[in-house]
Amino acid sequence: MRTVMVLLPTSRIERTEREAIGAARALSREWSANVQVALIAPTAEGIEGLRGRTEASSDVSLWIAAHPQLEAYSPELYVSASEQLITRARPEVIVFPSRTIALEIAPRLAYRIGAALATDVIELRAEGEAVVITKPVYGGKAHAVLVAQRFPLVLCVRPRAFDPFEGELRAGTPHDLQIACDPSSVRTQLVQRIQEDAAAGVSLEEARVIVSGGRGLGGPEGFRLLEELARWLGGAVGASRAACDAGWVPASWQIGQTGKKVAPDLYIAVGISGASQHIVGISGAKCIVAINTDPKAPIFKVADLGIVGDYRAVIPALIAELKRTHAGSSGDRPGSSPEEGR
Amino acid sequence: MRIVVCLTQILDPEMPPSEFRLDPQRKAAAEGIGQLVVSIFDENALEVALQVREHILERKGAPSDPVEIVALTVGPPSAADVLRKALSLRADRAILISSEGWPPLEGAIVARLLAAAVRRLHPVDLVLCGRETGDWHGGQVGSFLAEELGWASVSFVSRIEVEGETFLMRRQSDEGWEIVRARRPAVATITNDETNVPRLPKVRDTMLAARASLPVWTIPELVEDPHTLWETSARVAVRELFIPSSSKVCELIEGETVQEKAVRLLEALRRRRML
Ligand SMILES: Cc1cc2nc3c(=O)[nH]c(=O)nc-3n(C[C@H](O)[C@H](O)[C@H](O)COP(=O)(O)OP(=O)(O)OC[C@H]3O[C@@H](n4cnc5c(N)ncnc54)[C@H](O)[C@@H]3O)c2cc1C
Repeated sequence: MRTVMVLLPTSRIERTEREAIGAARALSREWSANVQVALIAPTAEGIEGLRGRTEASSDVSLWIAAHPQLEAYSPELYVSASEQLITRARPEVIVFPSRTIALEIAPRLAYRIGAALATDVIELRAEGEAVVITKPVYGGKAHAVLVAQRFPLVLCVRPRAFDPFEGELRAGTPHDLQIACDPSSVRTQLVQRIQEDAAAGVSLEEARVIVSGGRGLGGPEGFRLLEELARWLGGAVGASRAACDAGWVPASWQIGQTGKKVAPDLYIAVGISGASQHIVGISGAKCIVAINTDPKAPIFKVADLGIVGDYRAVIPALIAELKRTHAGSSGDRPGSSPEEGR
Repeated sequence: MRIVVCLTQILDPEMPPSEFRLDPQRKAAAEGIGQLVVSIFDENALEVALQVREHILERKGAPSDPVEIVALTVGPPSAADVLRKALSLRADRAILISSEGWPPLEGAIVARLLAAAVRRLHPVDLVLCGRETGDWHGGQVGSFLAEELGWASVSFVSRIEVEGETFLMRRQSDEGWEIVRARRPAVATITNDETNVPRLPKVRDTMLAARASLPVWTIPELVEDPHTLWETSARVAVRELFIPSSSKVCELIEGETVQEKAVRLLEALRRRRML
């Protein structure tokens, strides 16, 4: 029996992690493999987001490789823990979610175990003995179809590209795995954490509405307008790389190829030209609205609705109209909490 | 202190999508559809190296251990352009590892060649790579290289400070940033933020760089039995490339005044149950 292993270097299972499990499960069904989810965490207790872990009916089993040395993230220890798990379980395919930590571990692990690696995977299927992978290349201008015939194979799946696994996780036997940690191998050490707050307190990944700004905003002040609009819509604020590079907003607001991948119901792109590297980050959005002075901007090719115009006039008009209609109903400002915010 | 910056040449990622074409034979973008440029995160990496050198100079005046920046690329002779770009930004040296006449490269092979070059340049304190290339977005060469060398490595770094025998690296996390201390020697893969936007070269430096002679290292000079590189490499085969189709039609909101447009947009959103 073949094995697909999902490696989750985390104590918290969120949608991104469930998507990695979903991707593994879809592959395993076609490929008659079993799915093992392995968490790498400082302790097996208090894992957030586990549901019905002991349910026997699930076809997904859960293992937890815990060691107190893993409290502070260090790539050396996490790569070594991953390697130990793989030596034990001998999976054909290893799936990681595209978190920054996972994206750091995956290539090092792949090199160490002599595995092929594919990152940014958006589709996965079995074809006989082989695994067929689709990933965007050239900033999303093209898609590449890759065929893996040699295993093990390490994959990083792109967020918001696969349906999350919503089922139960069954405990493996033994579900708590012993791993060794060698502190002397550690060459890097976390000194400080700098949290960057999401605008309007809503996280981009969970937001149902995102108002996003680009170079066309011309400066940080423009983002104050977007924040006000986002509050009225109960949404979050994002940005293009150009706006982040200009220092107008924190880099953690960046959406796109090398920023957050988001899947809101509504995405409002303001002063964003629509470069493919930006668009690949919003392919999961249900409805895209473009506000741009240039009717020829590529963003209008991917938008559902658009206004050709200067955001400095359009956004205040939208806010005024929301205020007016809202005054008619409850009079108060709408709340801004997303359904599943954190 | 010696810093190696690894650069690669790619098709201009900012080229208009309407002009993008594929070459089904080569299973890659068609040749000649756009300019060839330095991959964008490699430019950020060079900028970080230049800033490290400047900070050390500012701190110590004329340091006893001067910083030398060496630019490396693996590629065909045309890739020399990225090295000239690096020299024009005042990298101290630039070396081309020529892949001419060899089968197509892939991440693990590039990493092996770069590692061999880094060993040849011994002692090297810091190696910088872009977090991913702007064409295939592999996100692997820097990490492979760190594994091959057995060095400390930190991914998604935007800024580096030297502190004694260690580097303080500002690395991106899912929540913001972390400061990580890495022992020397180290590899870092570089991401963008507002502090490492690539600077522009001076005209005079560009002219000097255009005339500079570039040492070329060949693959057999760097590794024994180069053919085994291709034979042993674990990899996935490219079956085909295609341009994803998009059939969206944008409904442009018209109106006499901007107020009217705003009202109509909100109506359209309510109709679509977006509000
Ligand atoms: C490897 C790689 C990874 C990348 N990753 C990302 C990524 O993750 N995210 C990302 O966003 N980019 C990414 N990029 C960069 C991307 O290619 C573009 O450069 C970037 O998205 C452009 O940002 P922009 O649309 O804000 O700026 P521009 O392209 O300059 O567009 C500005 C727009 O604003 C409009 N405008 C101007 N004034 C006004 C006004 N008053 N009102 C309304 N509209 C106005 C203009 O018409 C124009 O369309 C990446 C690039 C590479 C090579």
